[in-house]
Amino acid sequence: MRRWAHRTHLVGLLTLAVAACAEKERPASKGGIAVTDDAGRRVTLAAPAQRIVSLLPSFTELLFAIGAGDRLVGRTAWCDYPPEALAVPSVGDGMPPNVEAVAARRPDLVVLYHSGQNVPAAEQFERLGIRTVLLDLNLLEDLGPAARRLGVLTARRPAADSLARVMDSVASQPPAPSTRSLAFIVWDNPPIVIGAGSYLDRLATLAGARNVFHDISSPSAQVAIETIAARDPEFVAVLSDSTGAPRYAARPEWQVVRAVQRRRFLFLPGQLFGRPGPRVAEAVRELRRRLGTAP
Amino acid sequence: MKYVLLAVTALVTLAAAVLLGPADVPLGDIVASPIVWQLRLPRAVLAFLVGGALGVSGVGLQALVRNPLADPFLLGLSGGAGLGAVAAIALNLPGPWALPLAAFVGAVGAMALVYRLGLIGGAELDPRVLLLAGVAVGAFAAAVTTALVSLAEATELRNAFLWLWGGFSGASWTTVLVFVVYAPLPLVVLAAAARPLDLLALGEEPARYLGADVRTLKRLVYLAASLLTAAAVAVAGVIGFVGLIVPHLCRLVWGRLHRTLFPTAFLAGGILLAAADTLARTVVAPRELPVGIVTALLGVPVFAFLLRRWTVS
Repeated sequence: MRRWAHRTHLVGLLTLAVAACAEKERPASKGGIAVTDDAGRRVTLAAPAQRIVSLLPSFTELLFAIGAGDRLVGRTAWCDYPPEALAVPSVGDGMPPNVEAVAARRPDLVVLYHSGQNVPAAEQFERLGIRTVLLDLNLLEDLGPAARRLGVLTARRPAADSLARVMDSVASQPPAPSTRSLAFIVWDNPPIVIGAGSYLDRLATLAGARNVFHDISSPSAQVAIETIAARDPEFVAVLSDSTGAPRYAARPEWQVVRAVQRRRFLFLPGQLFGRPGPRVAEAVRELRRRLGTAP
Repeated sequence: MKYVLLAVTALVTLAAAVLLGPADVPLGDIVASPIVWQLRLPRAVLAFLVGGALGVSGVGLQALVRNPLADPFLLGLSGGAGLGAVAAIALNLPGPWALPLAAFVGAVGAMALVYRLGLIGGAELDPRVLLLAGVAVGAFAAAVTTALVSLAEATELRNAFLWLWGGFSGASWTTVLVFVVYAPLPLVVLAAAARPLDLLALGEEPARYLGADVRTLKRLVYLAASLLTAAAVAVAGVIGFVGLIVPHLCRLVWGRLHRTLFPTAFLAGGILLAAADTLARTVVAPRELPVGIVTALLGVPVFAFLLRRWTVS
């Protein structure tokens, strides 16, 4: 019995392998479309995706920006831009994806962020016969390629390519000469700051501000308050929709950091600054404006 | 001789904690530097005090439950503190002290619950009942915490776990003052229990025959050790390992009398934690390591060395 089950399994695998080979041999000839995603998987669709579930706010924004927003049938609880996105049914917070809730939307394409826990989730979707695409979206440079591939999968190539060109040109801009310095403090105890390997560091550079923790290569890192005090940033950038000083601003140990003591906070709304997206140029302009008007 | 060495090590550790740091403060400016006065010094003092408190509280609890694996956080305290901290963030409680206060309330709540369970059916804080109650309350609190984290919308909730893992970023003269005012009472209660705890080590029956009021002793020791740990959680999160290993370390070097165990565990715990925090701040500067990692990296080899000498002799 057991052996038999084994054998059918093998046969199934073989059929799959053969099917995969066959698919590879006829790429995109009969109106089919294909892209390679960031997990190195070949994603093929017989026809442009018509029912899409986006599992990252940035993808939702990108899809709307290339004119494929009307094909969204599912989004995460965090997808709040553009406002039309709120009309799309939510499938939960997306981390990790609720496979059942997504499948219930009967999508023909699920767009996932390429992370460790999303790779097995994508396999689960594929087993249910739902096509998936895993895309990186950590850096400014990831935006253009992501937009192009979403354009191919939705047959919105012209719009996607022109958007991608805009984002690529932002990404290839030389850094503006930095006149101001700042630190992004995303948590206070323990203090976590944003380092060079992040989208925010890049935004700051483009807006003409120097991230005082640019020498830390990872996206974020724990540091001591005394390190922040010694680097003495002019501003502390806070990702927050409200403009009330963060809770730690009133704590005695933080008064050694001059920017905190003088309440020099830059409040950056998470919707615009918290994630890489098609509005990157707007984010750079907005940050530059805030730095310019700050006393 | 061993005592002198311990005291000197304590002073050297504190001096190093003040002199070393990720920020470059020239020796001449040390007296005037706000980085030293407002950050390093209170942080070093707090780390020392918390380490000492955890060491003493570990000695007390290990004597109480007569189990070498007992740790101040074993009896549900870390779970309760975690629940309090996460609830504070999920409910968006205002104010700079909301998080530590909520953690303290959570820890004390868990302690009260375990204490009550430990008295059920005349169990009189039977070690087995206490340990089971502690594990059960801890597991329940952890489950509620995880439910809160997965259901609430606040993106900051994941960071609550970072806080919970322990560290001295929140150190200031205010926290030192709070701890200095709070800690003496439980410390004195434990120190006063030194002699009866020696008797308790012989077993409850013999201790009773030798004149110890076992019932009151167990209650007082449990409450004092737990309240001390709850204060440590509130100012520094859950720093594991110190309260487990320092009592053993001291027992290996100084023997089993609680009269010497309490003061030496206080100093040794303080040294371990202050040294660990100094390393955490400096070895990967400008980054910082979570202090719990360093305590384990530092403490385990020392412990292994002593264990080897002890078993050989």
